[in-house]
Amino acid sequence: MEDTDLNSLRRDPSPAFAVRLQSSLHEQEKSRSHAAWPRLRAIAAPAVIVIIILGLLSLPAVRASAQSFLAMFRVVNFVAVPVDEGRIAMLESQNLDPPHLIGEQIQVLEDPGAPIGVVSPEQAGTAAGFEVKVPTYEPANVTLATIDVKGQQRLRATADAERLRHAMETLAITDLEVPAGLDGQTVDVRIPPVVRMRYERGGAPVVEVLQAKSPEVSLPDGINLAALGEIGLRILGLSPIEARDFAQSIDWYTTLLVPIPAAATSFKQIAINGQPGVAVERVRRLPDGGRQFSSSYLWSQNGQVFAVNGSLSALDMLKMAESLK
Amino acid sequence: MPGRLARWISAADPDWDAVYADQLPRVYNFFRYRFGATADAEDLTARTFEKAWRARHRYRRDLAAFSTWLLSIARNVAADHVRARRPFVSLEQASDVRAAGTPEEQAVRNSDGERLAALLQQLPDRERELLAMKYGAGMTNRTIAIATGLSESNVGTIVHRAVQTLRARW
Repeated sequence: MEDTDLNSLRRDPSPAFAVRLQSSLHEQEKSRSHAAWPRLRAIAAPAVIVIIILGLLSLPAVRASAQSFLAMFRVVNFVAVPVDEGRIAMLESQNLDPPHLIGEQIQVLEDPGAPIGVVSPEQAGTAAGFEVKVPTYEPANVTLATIDVKGQQRLRATADAERLRHAMETLAITDLEVPAGLDGQTVDVRIPPVVRMRYERGGAPVVEVLQAKSPEVSLPDGINLAALGEIGLRILGLSPIEARDFAQSIDWYTTLLVPIPAAATSFKQIAINGQPGVAVERVRRLPDGGRQFSSSYLWSQNGQVFAVNGSLSALDMLKMAESLK
Repeated sequence: MPGRLARWISAADPDWDAVYADQLPRVYNFFRYRFGATADAEDLTARTFEKAWRARHRYRRDLAAFSTWLLSIARNVAADHVRARRPFVSLEQASDVRAAGTPEEQAVRNSDGERLAALLQQLPDRERELLAMKYGAGMTNRTIAIATGLSESNVGTIVHRAVQTLRARW
């Protein structure tokens, strides 16, 4: 075997793929230029911002279901980050979990109240203020059971640099600095109403579809999101090199990091109707020794975010997601 | 705007479509060599470019650095893929390769390719990654050394050893 043998195995990507990806990159560029509004800093996809600035709002999501993310954040891109559950347990044991890190700095400006039940997607749309999409594909014996709408929520978070610094010291993150000027900065988050449609099979819930418009996040000028992002990733347990590369390669203004327990979950980046998203699969051990499979699909489209969560087959879940009209 | 300044800005801004066309096969083949038929090279390539494209303007004056940086993102994507061990990545797409030549030549090439891919999968992870960078992405030992933090001579030694192993098993 010679070098030429090894080199001869190179192949050109298929022209169809090359064109498709190039087109996707152009679309990405367009949507990014539309989203850029640096003066006002009214930025979609706030999850990362809030996670980083005030100390890891993402952490509870490691254990939460996907809809918990949706209830708090909406995004343009989803990127899954494998996280060691042992790391999360350690953070909680040292009072470095989000309730302890940021609980005293979150002010609720508008309470969403309890979800309100409605009788049709049209009524949900009226209550939520947008046209609700409904899956045109329903697996056999699966029927729409309930629809409810959770009201708008507004929050204000205030950065506590000292608390974040303490967390970093506790975790022996000594090579990074909390960015100057962070302390006391406020972030306002408006989370518009969320519509949830629950589907049942034989009386048992099997899948739910959530949708909402993009929230608005107002940031003070001058916040170095990449630097804060790197700190957040380190706290989540990424290595210094991984965190640095990751922080510098993603667009923090439009990307939601979805922490995924690495041991119990698998994930992949996907496209649903041409839009980037994340598919997450989970396996839960049951008391009788059996296993329960569930999955979630998260994506955004035209200023809205969507989630499909449930225990149906991956194929049925994906077909439902792609059939939303 | 003064004409000279406009021309200067224009000259400093590369033709990104041309850069894309140049870099796409490198990244795609990096993943093909790295994972063979066990992963979707198109999916991993797309993820790499989507990450890189947002920040590419940082490299408008140094496309060599851009190329190295792009491969560093590809390596991270590869590491994520290994870590996640995603069981539901399409395997069919990974084997969807196209090559020129007669059907007979194609059959021989596919056969050799499958055999080599299988041998590559038996190599240690680091050796496989360096071979993917060298033969898949077409990097020199020097640029691999820069990208990995290894010395150039160390890169040469590891690559040589890996190729010797492949030859012995061929």
